[in-house]
Amino acid sequence: MSDTTHSDAVFRPKPSLPPPPNTVGVVGWLRKNLFGGPIDTIFTVVGIWLIGTLLVTVYQYGIANAVWEANSYRECLDTVLPNGEKVGHSGACWAGVAVWMNQYIYGRYPDPEQWRVQLCLAILVLWLMPFWLPRVTAKIQTGLSAVLTFPFLAAHILLGGEAGSFLMLTSSLALALFVTVWLNVITSYAMNKSVGKLVVELTGMADKDDRLHKWVLLAGFAVVFLGALAYESSWDLVAVPTTDWGGLFLTLCISGIAIASAIPSGVILALGRRSKMPVIRVFCTMWIELFRSVPLITILFMAVTMMPLFLPVELNPDKLVMVIVAVCIFASAYMAEIVRGGLQAIPKGQYEAAQALGLNYWKVTTFIVMPQALKLMIPNIVGNFIGLLKDTTLVSIIGLYDILLMAKASGQDPNWLGLHAEPMLFAAGVFFIICFAMSKYSQHLERTIAGGYGRR
Amino acid sequence: MAVIEKGGSSSGSSGKSALAFINDERFRSVFYQLLVGAIVLVAGYYLYANTAANLDARGMEVGFGFLGSTAGFSIAWSLIPYTPGDTYFHVFLVGIGNTLLVAAIAILTSTFLGFVMGVLRLSKNWLIRNIAAWYVEILRNTPLLLQILFWFLTVFALLPSPRQSLEPMTGFVLNNRGFYFPSPQPGDLFFLTAGAFVIGIVGAFILSKWATKRLFDTGQKTPVFPISLGLIFGFPLVVFLVTGAPLAFDLPTLQGFNFVGGGSVPPAFCALLLALTIYHSCFMAEAVRAGILSVSHGQTEASYSLGLKPSWTLRLVIIPQAMRAVVPPMISNWMNVVKNSSLAIAIGFPDLVAVFMQTSLNQSGHAIEIVAMVMLFYMTVSLSISLALNQYNKSVQLKER
Repeated sequence: MSDTTHSDAVFRPKPSLPPPPNTVGVVGWLRKNLFGGPIDTIFTVVGIWLIGTLLVTVYQYGIANAVWEANSYRECLDTVLPNGEKVGHSGACWAGVAVWMNQYIYGRYPDPEQWRVQLCLAILVLWLMPFWLPRVTAKIQTGLSAVLTFPFLAAHILLGGEAGSFLMLTSSLALALFVTVWLNVITSYAMNKSVGKLVVELTGMADKDDRLHKWVLLAGFAVVFLGALAYESSWDLVAVPTTDWGGLFLTLCISGIAIASAIPSGVILALGRRSKMPVIRVFCTMWIELFRSVPLITILFMAVTMMPLFLPVELNPDKLVMVIVAVCIFASAYMAEIVRGGLQAIPKGQYEAAQALGLNYWKVTTFIVMPQALKLMIPNIVGNFIGLLKDTTLVSIIGLYDILLMAKASGQDPNWLGLHAEPMLFAAGVFFIICFAMSKYSQHLERTIAGGYGRR
Repeated sequence: MAVIEKGGSSSGSSGKSALAFINDERFRSVFYQLLVGAIVLVAGYYLYANTAANLDARGMEVGFGFLGSTAGFSIAWSLIPYTPGDTYFHVFLVGIGNTLLVAAIAILTSTFLGFVMGVLRLSKNWLIRNIAAWYVEILRNTPLLLQILFWFLTVFALLPSPRQSLEPMTGFVLNNRGFYFPSPQPGDLFFLTAGAFVIGIVGAFILSKWATKRLFDTGQKTPVFPISLGLIFGFPLVVFLVTGAPLAFDLPTLQGFNFVGGGSVPPAFCALLLALTIYHSCFMAEAVRAGILSVSHGQTEASYSLGLKPSWTLRLVIIPQAMRAVVPPMISNWMNVVKNSSLAIAIGFPDLVAVFMQTSLNQSGHAIEIVAMVMLFYMTVSLSISLALNQYNKSVQLKER
């Protein structure tokens, strides 16, 4: 017993030895990750050879032998390299891509009117910006107003010409909402209060009954709306028919509308499929299974060949409208299955707890179940959006000049006959950048909000 | 609505107010269903009335009678023999044959490539892992249609003419008319070899059952693998040689300006197959990677501590569990391959959509019938695959509680 109190008996570990020199630092990393054994080493050598060949090829084709200025494809091919040989197919003809660039992006939208496309893009970006501004309130309303009304405003600006009364009213509503959203942003940052509160205070109604506030706000909005209507009536835009729309702009147009419509329609269909009412369930299930099991191209063909039969002759719908409807139908069926997957993952206890609190079906769905289900499904939803963007290229098969058909068309232009690889590579690059950015952003979203519990 | 069995406050007060039945859950349920049913019926009738009026105005009739009339156009390439004198129904079958052929080959190749890429993405080698990751990222983030057009326009449309064909191996020829390969010509007694092959497979199956039973009963192992190999390949080979090797190959040969003999597929087929294989291999690779990662590391450690060697751990512990997570997304990918093979229309390969939904539809004008038939075909394929998938899911589900 007395031994243990003696200081010599206390366990004193020797200082630990340093790690073997070949397991740390650069050498250790190389050994662990690249040269772990003979097979590993062979793999690494093959990999280095692969990457090296690829990089050299890309450099030779895309930069060293590339032609940046020419007036025709023939000229590109006949350009003489410093070593005295002709370029031929050993170098890219970026000159052709540069000449066609405007068409790849805007299609045949007339040059002097292209500011309208840019304006629409700017409005959309500005409209959605409050999402990323931390001090602005009413984010949901902002998003909803953009999704529901922006297409009408964009349609009015892009189509031009004489707008019908429906388009005039809806697009003015959109403009008024957009102005309101930004007034809200400005007041939130300048005075730290929402625009609604400010209007109520300015009219001196702040100490009156809350029910009166609603009428004040409505009157305020009516003023903005009438202003927007008066302003839009004064527009004198040249009409640009949808047959002239094209390029990346058309691709984003179709996929944007499809993406925006997919979430609400998918949610409704998914709820319908899980409903306990047999009639609703059967209809929703039929819709989902039918449009999920056939290729998009058959739905597009159905749209352009059968839709004119289904609708009255005098309606005579625009081809672009029919295509957009077809893509939306397709998107809704896929989104419905994703949302259903999310709903199935929510434990039954959540429903029961919410019901025990006395919430009705719609409250249970909107406030308890759907937020959790959608959060869970963020990766799948974004994956579906990416798929939708890629699938939009199928409209080129039925003759809409999206970016892909424009890229193909540039190789059939007499001046640039045979220019195929370069436009395709350009289009591939554009798609890759958009899709890759979307998938990275979804991973970021997943980390920040889908985890949910750690961050508040 | 139906989640809550009884509409909260109203159930007790139904006698008090005349309007209380509005809050009754059963009444509401019936009402909503009648409403939806009525809307669908009215919409359906509206479409029907419009269609009837439009068809009347164009002097067309709905009916499948046109299927019996002569199609009259030629098809560039078909699996099922076809002549322009055949009927529209025959065109339909030709289209199905071509679609299923390209889809079946693409499924095999993309699954194989996908497995390789998925395993490489989990490699311990940093370089290999990253190469595989970028392969997947780049190729699955560009549209399939773009890839198909790229391969077709920049590779297969620029191949040399038949006289300057590429011939990587004797009998395998690649030129701008297509890809030519030797076609096997079985002799009279070849059926014996085929029969031996079938017997070998059945024998190997019975052997593996018997070996498992013997292992459980006596604890003794049987070398199943080499014996099965001998049964499946060795036995037919012996039969083949004994019967005098009754198999000849018809080699493609250059005659005039083109190759004759052997089998061939057009360049569009090659481009479509290549693009489908590469594009879908990325999704297969992701499925394989996610599946393998879904098996927790504890399983590996537990099986090592039981004394199983690494190859057994992989075969008996990891793969069976990973398959549960790999198979469903993989089969839905297979369905996508079938659906995406319809993009053949963009490069002129005569698949079902191209020959039936485009050419036949434009010629005959029977839009409704043709669209319905094509959709029915794709639905049949999809639904039967998903039925099989559900069966599989049921059989491998974790048996809990």
